[in-house]
Amino acid sequence: MRKALLLTLAILATVVTALIAAPAFKPSLSLTEAASMMTRTAVIVSILFVWIVAAIVVTLISGREIRYSSIELRTSPLHCFALGLVAVTSFVLTAILFSYLIPYVVGIPLLLALAVFAIITKIYGTIAVFHAVGTIVANARSREALSRRRWLRGDLAMVVVGVLLLGAIRLIPVVGVIVWGIASIFGVGTALATKFGRREPWFLVWRPVSAD
Amino acid sequence: MNADCQRYAEDPETHAAHIRDCVACREMYALLNTPVESKAVNVEKLPLAAWEGADYRSWPLVLGGALALLTVAFSLCMVAGISLFTAMTAGARFDWRGILASASEAVRPLGPIGFAAAFLIVNTILILLLRRAPRGIDA
Repeated sequence: MRKALLLTLAILATVVTALIAAPAFKPSLSLTEAASMMTRTAVIVSILFVWIVAAIVVTLISGREIRYSSIELRTSPLHCFALGLVAVTSFVLTAILFSYLIPYVVGIPLLLALAVFAIITKIYGTIAVFHAVGTIVANARSREALSRRRWLRGDLAMVVVGVLLLGAIRLIPVVGVIVWGIASIFGVGTALATKFGRREPWFLVWRPVSAD
Repeated sequence: MNADCQRYAEDPETHAAHIRDCVACREMYALLNTPVESKAVNVEKLPLAAWEGADYRSWPLVLGGALALLTVAFSLCMVAGISLFTAMTAGARFDWRGILASASEAVRPLGPIGFAAAFLIVNTILILLLRRAPRGIDA
């Protein structure tokens, strides 16, 4: 009963979102517009394929870290979002500062280092968001349910479910871009909050040396 | 704890008389001798931990999902008349120079002092937020 209600609400929300976000209905789409829309969709789905491959590889290499970041995202979403917003703003401001240093050569390696760090943070964080979304939607709620499942369990499965779900949302015009933007902010936040799933402090606490 | 208490702690049998005289020791040892109530833990009733079944690799789902996406992407690229590689490079393209230029334009009205202040404030908040220990597993 509860599942049916949730499913109905989800379908209703999707329909309402699609109706609001969809471009104004035109009885006849010009050939150029149709081709452009098809190319755009092809590009989005191709990038989704790259995302699923990256997600599978990263989860196979460091599944535990992705899980820790996903747990952090689900337990402290507001902190992750705030940290993500501040971090993205910091990246932009730091990039502007480094761009002023380009004439003094040192700006280029600094900019490159910042770009690499930002890209790694974004990719890792987005994969953690895939895991979190997959877990929220498809994870087993009890041990019996978990033992009954043959395919839909484990970190890899949760990540794939997350990619497919967020990928389907990405295909909705306007809404998809907004949702992926928000997911990126959450991702950057959770990646930094857990130090890429290692759960170590970023800064050491300073204490004076004592004789004993 | 005085010297008598210390001696009793070291050799309770020899200094057995001390426990009758010292109220503090009597209370403390009474507390220590209280049997701990132990109940059998029903593991099945505990909530499902995040790591349970996490290492399981569901290859049919993973390969099926990836292949389905590849098939859809390939079909769409064929219909659109572009190669899959072209679509991927077009999607991955990121105009960082344009974004950097527009961001620089956006902060120009702040002036050098305003920009320095914004930089310091944002990074201070970032450091403060990063100092919080992750809760995750302990929550």
